[in-house]
Amino acid sequence: MPSATAPSSSDKSKVHKLQIKGSAKLVTEFFEYGINTILFQRGVYPPEDFSAVKKYGLTIMTTIDDQVKAYIKKIMSQLSKWMSRSKISKLVVVITSKETGEHVERWQFDVNHTPTSTSSKSTSGSGEKENSDPVPPNSAAAAAEKTDAEIQQDIQSLFRQITASVTFLPVLDGNCTFNVLVYADADSEVPLEWGDSDAKEVKNAEKVMLRSFSTNSHRIDTVVSYRLAE
Amino acid sequence: MATASVLTPVKHRRDGIFSTRLAGGRAPLTPSPKTPRMHVMQEQGQQESIHHSNANLMARFSRSVSKTNVRDSPKSNIASRPSRDSPRRLDQTISEFTLSGTGPRPSTATSAKNTPSRAKAGRSGSVHRTPKRSQSNINYKAADRFIPNRNASEGITSSGAAVKLDNEQTPGRRPKSSASEGSAALAAGAFDLGRHTSSSDLTSSLNFDGLNLNDNNEDDDDAPKNKPSPKTTAYQQSVAEACGVSIKQRILAFKPAAPESSRPIDLRSQYNRPLKPAAASASQFRRRVLTAPERVLDAPGLVDDYYLNLLDWSSGNQVAIGLERNVYVWSAESGTVSSLLECPADTYIASVKWSGDGAYVAAGLGSGEVQIWDVEEGSKLRSMHGHDTRVSVMGWNKHILSTGSRSGVVFNHDVRIAQHKTAELHSHTSEVCGLEWRADGAQLATGGNDNLVTIWDARHTSAPKFQKTNHRAAIKALAWCPWQTNLLATGGGSHDRNIHFWNTTSGARVNSIDTGSQVTSLRWSLAYKELVSSSGFPDNSLSIWSYPTLVKNVEIPAHESRVLHSSLSPDGQMLATAAADESLKFWKVFERKPGQANLMAGDHCTTFG
Repeated sequence: MPSATAPSSSDKSKVHKLQIKGSAKLVTEFFEYGINTILFQRGVYPPEDFSAVKKYGLTIMTTIDDQVKAYIKKIMSQLSKWMSRSKISKLVVVITSKETGEHVERWQFDVNHTPTSTSSKSTSGSGEKENSDPVPPNSAAAAAEKTDAEIQQDIQSLFRQITASVTFLPVLDGNCTFNVLVYADADSEVPLEWGDSDAKEVKNAEKVMLRSFSTNSHRIDTVVSYRLAE
Repeated sequence: MATASVLTPVKHRRDGIFSTRLAGGRAPLTPSPKTPRMHVMQEQGQQESIHHSNANLMARFSRSVSKTNVRDSPKSNIASRPSRDSPRRLDQTISEFTLSGTGPRPSTATSAKNTPSRAKAGRSGSVHRTPKRSQSNINYKAADRFIPNRNASEGITSSGAAVKLDNEQTPGRRPKSSASEGSAALAAGAFDLGRHTSSSDLTSSLNFDGLNLNDNNEDDDDAPKNKPSPKTTAYQQSVAEACGVSIKQRILAFKPAAPESSRPIDLRSQYNRPLKPAAASASQFRRRVLTAPERVLDAPGLVDDYYLNLLDWSSGNQVAIGLERNVYVWSAESGTVSSLLECPADTYIASVKWSGDGAYVAAGLGSGEVQIWDVEEGSKLRSMHGHDTRVSVMGWNKHILSTGSRSGVVFNHDVRIAQHKTAELHSHTSEVCGLEWRADGAQLATGGNDNLVTIWDARHTSAPKFQKTNHRAAIKALAWCPWQTNLLATGGGSHDRNIHFWNTTSGARVNSIDTGSQVTSLRWSLAYKELVSSSGFPDNSLSIWSYPTLVKNVEIPAHESRVLHSSLSPDGQMLATAAADESLKFWKVFERKPGQANLMAGDHCTTFG
């Protein structure tokens, strides 16, 4: 998606600027692959239900089970609506044991909206044409904003970390299911399929902060909490 | 009704006419009425007072009882509006009330009342009042007189409220109006009307305020979430802060449950998975199995009965098969067939079993008789009786021959001694169709038509060691694992279709396969960690399963109808199957590579001709 628009915008500035919408799309896409990776890595669904896809310069396992696919797609379509209106502050994937109903693992992605890029963008945009001195704001913006490649790299390293996290996360014994929670603004529109919930925190949990990545209007922080071995 | 009557004056009050009336109204007030009039009016006054008190009572009653109703209905809003009006309203309603209340019949009442009032009016000189009065009368005429309850209660609500207001606001004026004599009521009414006009703007605005307030309150009661009062918001906030939750955000869960996973996953095996995808590695390492039969023989007259066991392959590489009343022996090395025995015409062969050394064949008959034949000599060695019903399954353990019958009982015979029956094994309540000794002779497994798998300790045959009820159909297929002595595989019939694996030391079920069709026999490979199962309806196939992964390596569509019996060659490479399509087929399912040893030690290779 960014590559398609890059040539046209490269005339104006070397750095392609993600608009909120583009950034939201990128973040939503990240969530989709993130959920798939978690489901695969944590063994929520059997490995033969997944197939490899090239993404972010990595091989990412995504589900090929129609039901799971449809389930994630439904979540994502709503999420992208919320994201584009900046209604979401957190996305959480909770893995729950089917036998005990306990939450055993919780992957939390904090979404921070960073308005700075939009403001800098507007100044640079107007400055370029009108002002005789466009260089300082432009270069400043360029310094503040990240290139696609950088963002991709950040996401890539985050995925590597998620994949690597299975080495320290406790082994989940088989029968698990998952839930998706979002922390939305109180005034956001909520479709029927979504309902209020508690935070589904893991009891007696250990938390590990993973890498963060940021686009020009969002910053994603990742935390995984898991049950300490008894 | 009452509201209408109440409203009418309001309308009129705003009219310009009223001002003139007001002038007229005031005039009579000044000259205080004289006795005659007073008399008339006293009557009125009394009634008034009666009604008044009633009104108060009723008002209180209706208020206390139906407060909410009053609030809710728009009508009552209107009613409450006058109640907030200035006290003159009270007078007016009362006067109206009196008019309606006094008259026994509306029409007469008006006429009767009109007369004095007219006289009164005439005396007082206010002509204007007359039409006004008649108007109010007309209102009541229009109203059904016999609905006083309703009229009263509503009118009274207003009047009661008005009285209260009266007391509060204009205590000074109240006595005057309540104690009004003669035309006072009327006059006061007019007077009040006049006064009302002057303050109507104010009151109406007040009323609106009141109404608005009311509305707000009602909203609060009904839907506090929509417009929380500042207090509740503050409370929520404090609670939220205490809980560490932001009030501005909601935690939303995607409510539909996530799809079930197709099978439980053991992450440990997943982490240890090979670098190449499972499918590729499986295809790479999957053993090539010949899916065409090596040889096909006719087996005419093979009885199509699941419960019989008519095929066996000896260690001497000879195949015995029972066809109706005959037992034939086919030599795998030479390919020659000989008829070993023919049983009496009144019965049939129900089971055939080679002794361990391959020298003797035991044949179980439909009559319950068991015969032992020397194959080399082609002569019967002995007959053993004891069973009353057909002997459908047998098994050798050295010199012990175990026979299972239709009655469900299993006998152990020592074939060397005259008193051959050494033990009776009672567990099954229905026909025993599966029986298998463990290679070391320490345990015996039997399966019956009662859906029961029984595991016996050879030393304690009085009671079963384990009884397993997991199968939901008869168990004919039983097989002991050649490389793990305490592992037993059992396959259920058409209603069960499962293969269960048992640890016969602990009695635990260690694995299961749902095969999707009736399991008629099970054979472990001697060279591979695999086992082959033969199927009845609906597949009529042979399936080869890896153990313990339980992955199906290959499925061979073997016969046209259900596969009834199977037997492994002594070298473990070849499988013979007999099916209801009256054919005997040989399959090289466990073909060995040159130099490959068996999983079991001490095995001698025999070649297949």
